[in-house]
Amino acid sequence: MSATPPAMMNGLTAQVRVIYALALRETRTRFGANNLGYVWALLEPLFWILTFAGFFAVANRSAPGGMEVIPFLATGIITFELVLKTAEKGSQAINGNKALLFYPQVHTLDLILARGALELATYAVVFVIIIGGWSMTVPRVRIDDLLLLMSGLGLAGLLGMGLGLVLCGLNVVSPTVDRIRGPLFRPLFWVSGLFFIPTSLPTSAREYLLYNPILHCIEMVRSGFFPSYHSPLVDSGYVVRWIVALFFVGLTLERRVRHKVQLS
Amino acid sequence: MIELRSVTKAYRTRAGDHLVLNKIDAVFPERVSVGILGKNGAGKSTLLRILGGAEQPDAGVVTRKGRVSWPIGFAGGFNGSLSGDENCRFVARIYGADVDEVVDFAERFAEIGEYFRMPVRTYSSGMRARLAFGLSMALDFDTYLVDEVTAVGDQTFQAKCQAAFADRQERSSVIIVSHQMATIRKYCAHAAVLSDGRLHFYDDLDEAAAAYEAVA
Repeated sequence: MSATPPAMMNGLTAQVRVIYALALRETRTRFGANNLGYVWALLEPLFWILTFAGFFAVANRSAPGGMEVIPFLATGIITFELVLKTAEKGSQAINGNKALLFYPQVHTLDLILARGALELATYAVVFVIIIGGWSMTVPRVRIDDLLLLMSGLGLAGLLGMGLGLVLCGLNVVSPTVDRIRGPLFRPLFWVSGLFFIPTSLPTSAREYLLYNPILHCIEMVRSGFFPSYHSPLVDSGYVVRWIVALFFVGLTLERRVRHKVQLS
Repeated sequence: MIELRSVTKAYRTRAGDHLVLNKIDAVFPERVSVGILGKNGAGKSTLLRILGGAEQPDAGVVTRKGRVSWPIGFAGGFNGSLSGDENCRFVARIYGADVDEVVDFAERFAEIGEYFRMPVRTYSSGMRARLAFGLSMALDFDTYLVDEVTAVGDQTFQAKCQAAFADRQERSSVIIVSHQMATIRKYCAHAAVLSDGRLHFYDDLDEAAAAYEAVA
């Protein structure tokens, strides 16, 4: 006997089902038995954290705002990696998955949301592992505001998805976009507050850096994590406005270029 | 049922726009199987993707009633690094069907043995097509879109596909594109010829064959 799909599928349920199926499938391809996806997802941020912790130690510097060095770097680096990796995975969503667009119920947005959800879950686990590992070396850890911390990571994930959606559309127009993405994003590593907090900068520099939504996400995560640190400048509404704008532009662009995606 | 109203599709090439489908009006009624004949490059696969909804026309409207399959054939639809059963699971999920039932059915229908649990990239094109057929048969579609089945497997498997479609005649229809009249004869009572961006319908297969020979 063959299985009968329900004749009337509520649009939203159907879309949720597609995203769920995609996320499961992505898990297999990204973290399959033969590739070290899990290991890399953990090693890359760990490498940066330890490298910069080494720099801090050599320079005999402590983290600002009464924060400990390792979690100070971990909150910055993991949040940053989450935005960039999600954007990267999203931008390649169409090119890596043309076979899927054979199924009319699979849309570009589903691919981006599924990949984004997977990255978000991955980095949440990475965060727990790294912070968990560090917590064993100190007597006591208290997370100040878990909800704020999770909102910061959640917004970072959505920001990455929005960026990915826009880049994905641009990629269809010109594959060059994917090549310049790396060099274009790399400077953000130095201006997103991974190694500093905005209040420790001169006002003139701070003014410009606050336009960077990634910096706000990192400040949210830090304010949520550390009882001793509460960023006075953080503006979650600003990040939300970025996300809405990116999704709007990305979806409009996707509609415009959809017909250019050649399936064969 | 699928209805096309002045559906137009062009591809941009270096030599300028190439009009693949030129204001096509057509109705594919329920429970009527239609074969579409066309030379290589006539736009058969494009037409099939537009019928299925995987591709949008540049202009015109496509209306579908009932569940329409994805274009079943050799190309696309499977992830090469995943195994046959993983691919089946994914498709069952997006169509909201019972995953285990679909996987069982597809495995039995495809008859590809142990390959079912190996990555699809290790398959021959015939095996891919077998899997695609098995999987599509496991899901109940009202309209099956089939792309070039002429060489799917051996005689036995072809007979099996024919029997499966014959079995479903009461509830499902098939739209097959092919460049060979012989294929169309096996599955369809009606045929159309696609050439120069236009689609002409014929009630009689022999008439269609004659018209096709004139353009081929």
